[in-house]
Amino acid sequence: MAEIQLKGISKSFDDNKVIKSLDLSVAKGEFITVVGPSGCGKSTLLRIIAGLESQSSGDVIIDGREVNKVRASERDLAMVFQSYALYPHLSVQQNLMVPLKLRRLSRLERFPLLNWFLPKRRSKMIGLKEKVLQAAEILQITHLMERKPGQLSGGQQQRVAVGRAMVREPVAFLMDEPLSNLDAALRVHMRAEISELHRKLKTTFIYVTHDQAEALTMSDRMAVMMDGEILQHDTPSEIYNNPVNLQVAEFIGSPKINVLPAESDSKGGITCMGLPISLSMKTPKQGSIMLGFRPEHTELLSSNSNNCFEGKITYKENLGSDIYLHVNLKEDQHKMIVRSEPDKALDAKIGDMVKIGWMVDKVMAFERNGQSLPTKSKS
Amino acid sequence: MGHTRSHFWFVSPAVILMFVILILPVFVAGTFSFTDYNLGSTDFKWIGWKNYESLGKFSSYSKMFTASLTYVVIVVPVSVLLGLGSAMLISSLRFGGEFYKAIFFLPVMATLLAMAYAWEFALDPVMGVINKVLDDGCSVGWFYKFFTGSWLGFNPTESWYGGLCSDRMPNWLGNKKYALGSISFIGIWQAFGFNMVLYLAGLTSIPQDLYAAAEIDGANSTWEKFKLVTWPMLGPTHVFVVTITSIRSFQVFDTVEALTRGGPSKSTYVMVYAMFEKGVKQNLIGMGSTLTIVFLGFVLLLTLTQVYFINRKVHYS
Repeated sequence: MAEIQLKGISKSFDDNKVIKSLDLSVAKGEFITVVGPSGCGKSTLLRIIAGLESQSSGDVIIDGREVNKVRASERDLAMVFQSYALYPHLSVQQNLMVPLKLRRLSRLERFPLLNWFLPKRRSKMIGLKEKVLQAAEILQITHLMERKPGQLSGGQQQRVAVGRAMVREPVAFLMDEPLSNLDAALRVHMRAEISELHRKLKTTFIYVTHDQAEALTMSDRMAVMMDGEILQHDTPSEIYNNPVNLQVAEFIGSPKINVLPAESDSKGGITCMGLPISLSMKTPKQGSIMLGFRPEHTELLSSNSNNCFEGKITYKENLGSDIYLHVNLKEDQHKMIVRSEPDKALDAKIGDMVKIGWMVDKVMAFERNGQSLPTKSKS
Repeated sequence: MGHTRSHFWFVSPAVILMFVILILPVFVAGTFSFTDYNLGSTDFKWIGWKNYESLGKFSSYSKMFTASLTYVVIVVPVSVLLGLGSAMLISSLRFGGEFYKAIFFLPVMATLLAMAYAWEFALDPVMGVINKVLDDGCSVGWFYKFFTGSWLGFNPTESWYGGLCSDRMPNWLGNKKYALGSISFIGIWQAFGFNMVLYLAGLTSIPQDLYAAAEIDGANSTWEKFKLVTWPMLGPTHVFVVTITSIRSFQVFDTVEALTRGGPSKSTYVMVYAMFEKGVKQNLIGMGSTLTIVFLGFVLLLTLTQVYFINRKVHYS
């Protein structure tokens, strides 16, 4: 278990600044997810923590010890790679043995042939094999021990990769998109397994992903990273419900959050596309703002409703449990995604006109530049 | 299928060409190897296994096997390891790699026969640059110390180089002690660039993640990473490089023909040169064919070994 702190980390490749003065602290035993679109620098960040890449400036601190000059093999972290990076010429058991052999046996004890004559080696090896077996049992891969990685399915390879990270009880796990090569069903399953593994091992996990669903479901806290900066670092529910800006709001949540332009007057009242709404700004300021609201906070209304949005259905997604309707609003070019109960929207067809309402207390206000604005509901 | 025979027509050009160009000549050579046929004579006698028996009987043939096998045993490991070493060095360069690749590949592209004559000048016992350097080196202190091993505490006059200095420089191609060694040296010089290119291709196909994983797992020296990742991941390349180098070494001919003609006292009498001497120079088609068949046997053996290794040992996926 380790506490990991990053202070003012930045990284440039030539002129390209991929990480800009970034701070992050991970508590002991915490499961933290770094989530962001591809190319935001999150994998580079993980490699800097691991010591595989050196930062241009800033400090990496593990358990209070500054490790900037400490090489990867001495940091005692384990890493699971997106490609799994298993040694293809070694069996599953040998793959799991590698980190133990390299760390627990002396150079002489690893020397071929000669090592047979070393008295302690035998008992050491038995101990290591025991550890490998324990890890394999936790991951349920004992029946695969003699196989080569090439003979395993993606999910099995993934477990072996996790096992190889696990056997030597590192101070922290680093995971670089470990699930992105798996098919959808297996991914959901492994999500639960990795969370459970974290509960069992109680070790610090840093998990990098581009999939916001993984971040929301698995982590204690998540850090949303974009363009080399961490925009928000908080619990999943806080990030989902109170994003600091429009970028975070748009990245987290599927389908994407709806955004409509609105006007605020000097008293703090807000009108959206001509409709006055029962929401006001805490610090009144006249000008144009944006309103964000998630598809699940909208609903289809009956055709005789007033004071609501009206638009034409352009696309219908039936997910079984929910139906998502993509709607072009009547007044202008604005689009909106509406979630509906299946029985309410079953008859809706593409091209139909519908009336849409929203849960006003869930609506978020943003400035033109995307910064979140505090609001209160009118009473 | 079934109703027509058109499939036979489709495959016939390939089958006929393969038979005429590839299989028939081997078959003809195999047949001739049981005769005493001489080029130019009108008839021949079947002599059974006599040609094959003479391979074991005459000392020139046992010298032939010795020369060929010695050449292979020297050239293959040295040129393979040099190829691997230079490939690893070049791939670790940040710039200048292209330059070294081109330089080391030059001997592969050059005509070996032409290069052989260049070497003949260099290795000439009197005027050659090599002996000139060695000769002058006798009077250069550090050079003399280094090559006699006196810096390690050896007696300089008892060493090989010390002996040469007090006597005279060797006749690299004319002395049977050195001739095969000199030919092998040229063989290595020529072959390792090719192996280097193959290893460079092999090295680029190793995923970088494996090195990262090895580092994380605790492999903190280059040697550990080489043992854990580079060497095993090059498995298929090793098999291919060793096989192709062995076959090419068995086929050595140009340098022998240009520099030593099998001599002195048959010390460089390699198989293909023997084939050429018997079959072409002396018109002994029967004996030449016998040598061809034996040679084919060696190459076939190497190829089958390669197939075995590729199927069993080094195929990971």
